Amino acid sequence: MNLSLRTAARIAWRETRSSMVKFLFVVLAVAAGVGALSGVRGFSESFHGMLTAEARTVMAGDLLARQFVMPSAQQTAALDALAARGVDYTWVTETVSMAASKSNDGTPVLAALKVVDPSKYPYYGEMKLNPPMPLASALTPDTAVAGDDLLMRLNAKVGDTVRVGEKDLHIVATIAQEPDRMSASLNIGLRLMMSREAFASTGLMQIGSRAAERYLFKLEPNAPPVDEVRRSIRRALPEAMVTDFRQSHPIITEGLDQATTYLSLISLIALIVGAIGVGMAMHAHLQQKMDHIAVMKSLGATSKEIIRIYTIQTLMLGVMGGLAGVAVGRGVEEVFPLLIKKYFSLNATMGWHVTAAVQGIGIGVLTTLLFTLPPLLAIRKIRPALILRRDMPEAKLSWKRRLTDARSALAAGGAILIGIGAIAAWLAGSARVGGYFAGGLTTSLIALACVAWLLLRLVRSFLEGTRWRIPSLMRQGLANLYRQGNQAQAILVALGLGVMFTLTVYMVQDSLVAQIIETAPPDAPNVFLVGVTQAQVGALKELIAHQQGVLGAPTFVPRVASRLVSVNGEVPVGPRFRYAGNVMWEGEKPDYVRVVEGAWWNSSALQKGAAPVVSVGVETAKRLKIHPGDTIEMEASGKRFQARVVALHEWEQRRFMPTSSFVFNPPGLADLPVSFDGGVRVEPSLVAAFQRAAFEKFPTVTVVNIADALQIAQQVVDQIALVIRFLSGFAILAGAIILAASIAGTRFRRVREVVILKTLGGTKRHIVRIFSVEFLTLGVVAGLMGGILATLFSGIVLRRLLNAQFQFDPKAALSAIVLTALLANASGWLASFRILRQKPLEVLREE
Amino acid sequence: MAIIEARALTKIIDTGTHRVEILRGVDFEVPAGQFVAIMGASGSGKSTLLGLLAGLDTPTSGSIVVDGTDITGLSEDKLAVVRGRKIGFVFQSYQLIPTLTAEENVLLPHELSGGNIAAGTAKARELLDSVGLSDRMDHYPVQLSGGEQQRVALARAFMVKPPILMADEPTGNLDSVNGGHVLELLIALNRREGTTLVLVTHDRSLTERADRIVTLRDGKIIADEIREPAGAARP
Repeated sequence: MNLSLRTAARIAWRETRSSMVKFLFVVLAVAAGVGALSGVRGFSESFHGMLTAEARTVMAGDLLARQFVMPSAQQTAALDALAARGVDYTWVTETVSMAASKSNDGTPVLAALKVVDPSKYPYYGEMKLNPPMPLASALTPDTAVAGDDLLMRLNAKVGDTVRVGEKDLHIVATIAQEPDRMSASLNIGLRLMMSREAFASTGLMQIGSRAAERYLFKLEPNAPPVDEVRRSIRRALPEAMVTDFRQSHPIITEGLDQATTYLSLISLIALIVGAIGVGMAMHAHLQQKMDHIAVMKSLGATSKEIIRIYTIQTLMLGVMGGLAGVAVGRGVEEVFPLLIKKYFSLNATMGWHVTAAVQGIGIGVLTTLLFTLPPLLAIRKIRPALILRRDMPEAKLSWKRRLTDARSALAAGGAILIGIGAIAAWLAGSARVGGYFAGGLTTSLIALACVAWLLLRLVRSFLEGTRWRIPSLMRQGLANLYRQGNQAQAILVALGLGVMFTLTVYMVQDSLVAQIIETAPPDAPNVFLVGVTQAQVGALKELIAHQQGVLGAPTFVPRVASRLVSVNGEVPVGPRFRYAGNVMWEGEKPDYVRVVEGAWWNSSALQKGAAPVVSVGVETAKRLKIHPGDTIEMEASGKRFQARVVALHEWEQRRFMPTSSFVFNPPGLADLPVSFDGGVRVEPSLVAAFQRAAFEKFPTVTVVNIADALQIAQQVVDQIALVIRFLSGFAILAGAIILAASIAGTRFRRVREVVILKTLGGTKRHIVRIFSVEFLTLGVVAGLMGGILATLFSGIVLRRLLNAQFQFDPKAALSAIVLTALLANASGWLASFRILRQKPLEVLREE
Repeated sequence: MAIIEARALTKIIDTGTHRVEILRGVDFEVPAGQFVAIMGASGSGKSTLLGLLAGLDTPTSGSIVVDGTDITGLSEDKLAVVRGRKIGFVFQSYQLIPTLTAEENVLLPHELSGGNIAAGTAKARELLDSVGLSDRMDHYPVQLSGGEQQRVALARAFMVKPPILMADEPTGNLDSVNGGHVLELLIALNRREGTTLVLVTHDRSLTERADRIVTLRDGKIIADEIREPAGAARP
């Protein structure tokens, strides 16, 4: 090759410089894609940081280890050794005990005690007290803070004294906000929080006393990575269940995982759509340059040299677009926190992520290059003889020759698909996602190309063979689609892909947001009713129905206290393999339960006297080594019974009601003492009134207000939903712009056509009708194909990649067809209306 | 010694629906330094013949040797190399790159051949000066008249000092005055540099200065008139 890189770059720059206005669209297309990509990724990183901060708040630490025994000296030493490596820890003890007010003769109540070291707890989040004061001041050896609900039950107030065990504690404040409320080990009952010194003097902690020990860990900057710390804690505390902030709360975890995957996907989709636009623009650009390329070839330039020039030009445009895109993305990152602040009164701090920006530019350039490969490779086919005879008939090549020529196009296509798949896999952090993406793209390309080819053949056959009288303008418009030189096939494929991706974004985000909102639905119960007897259920429902501020019917879940005695006749050895807690019953399989193994019972198991069968939670089954077909023996209130394990399950949707790892058929738990836990949603400002009313009629029922804790989860979910909607809208808008521009890019071909029509007597009206038929046909077909492919692709993305439900939305699909047709027509004319004013001779003279 | 040899050239286009025989067996030799005019009506195949001789297209059958190189079976890239070194081409519609200035257009073949830019720029300016356009070097084609554009194209064709110059209706888009100027320049440059000049035209008046006139009809040579022996002294 004689052409040096430097010379090629100079030639490329010369050409770009003189066509800057035309290239503006290309730059914008890349900018839209890169902007979405870097903005979404940068924002996702910031948002992820925000959510993990929330997650840490919910846990009040980075890691949590929970066990039911006191640590041995050895274990404490192991934890101290970890602390020396930058893993600070504090210890929270949770237990239950009777508490009584010393200020009146009220009945003692069972309180949930929480013992903390206020100098460390909480590591994240804030303990808010009423009256406001630092926790360290509130928790002295003689003082404690209490929940509103406990004081109400004790008929006490701030300033009163409460006796716990052997100690009198002075209540100095109530708890207004407790960050790790939802991470509590035991029932979230009537709260009393005290210092370790105070707890020691109650005399409650004896050997054999049942308390939950919760260790909170905070990772200092010099600490090892989370996974390594987690393993170290497991080794130090083998009996403990260890979790980290990433699993702090299922709502947050699930929402975060789904949102992150989805956002990566839509950012890639935005980039693909942008790249399609670039590919189309470069294709149109090179089409216009055919003469120049033929001239350069006649002057001695080889195909490789010309490809080098235009590749460099593409790279220049890619980088320019990438830089512009990063600026756009930065704008997205700046604007969004303002939105969050406005709606959620949260101080969202966003940082500028250089890595996201660099990645965005890199991917933008790479994707631009990939999508420009086909038009670049087509340079080899441009014959220099073209400039001698523009209208020289095209020789029909043999199929062997065509196959040989197609090899490089196929290779280019393969490179694009592999490249896109690799980028998708990298962005989403999953080869599976990359594979689905590349597969979806390949299938779509093939389907669209086939449909485009078939359509053009059908139109041609129809027009040539029909006996119907078709208006000449419509005939001409349709004939334009298949005449030589028209890029209808390429446009259909590009448009169809663009519609497919854009509509996929809409359909997936719609289903996903609905599902995410379901995880913390606005009507989720925010007040729990604990310890309701069977006899009280009816009357309690009656009270709730007439209570002011109740938003919806209550739900009651049966609970039978029991323990696991044996599995297949073998008694479990070791505390890890023991189970003691509440079990429950269900009739038909509920919607929120997913059977993982085995099968749920049928109606015969619901008949009176049916043998006990049970479904076990999959995590518990794994821990206790239980499988379908096993027989377990349970003991409840001194009575032993056996049940056959028929299924393993997991809870599909987040339930705000208590669940159990052991779910029996109703006859299986018949005649056993049962209590109920209920949940109801109450207007937050009227919860206190509800609590008083319930306490008056049902003093033995504990009414627990978790409205404040639920608020956090609700906010997180709402934030995620808003983020998804906002960024999806952004991607959809980018997609619409690029689709419009793809059609607009064909205007250059039309100049000559319009001029000839005018010369032959065509009026503006004639010309508008002819081209409108063409634009609308392209739009309708692309919309239809894109809609079908989007439906298929959305289903796959939701079910296989996001573990979410998919519901087909016919309105969205129909709207896509109509909107695409309108968009194609509008953008075609927006770009072409000036052509209508062109004087024929101006163009013909240049020929 | 023939600088161009064409033997039994045919060019047939099969479009799938019909067959077009553009050239039907053309034998043709051009001695070095000769000025040959190829004439014929529209559709006679003269531009196709010129394109084949210039390596811009490939024949269906037959052979072509250009300055000792058999270009018949060469790949597109190898043909490009031959074109870059041995053939200067002037088109009817000038075919300047609209996004380059006059100077940059003339420089282009030199850049494509990997030549030194400074030396090339000096040569380009010299050539533009020789065609009377030294004050238009920084103008874009759209700012030049037809005659001026064709003169730039001429300068470009001579940039790499090719042994052969081919021109396809070089004055076809020009008025008679400009056309005359361009023809004079072509011939003057041709005489000065000693290049072989093959010119396609349908205008008989252009052929009066030619050494030889070859006439085509329906893809065959029907007349080959030597006006003056090649290499004979010229006034």
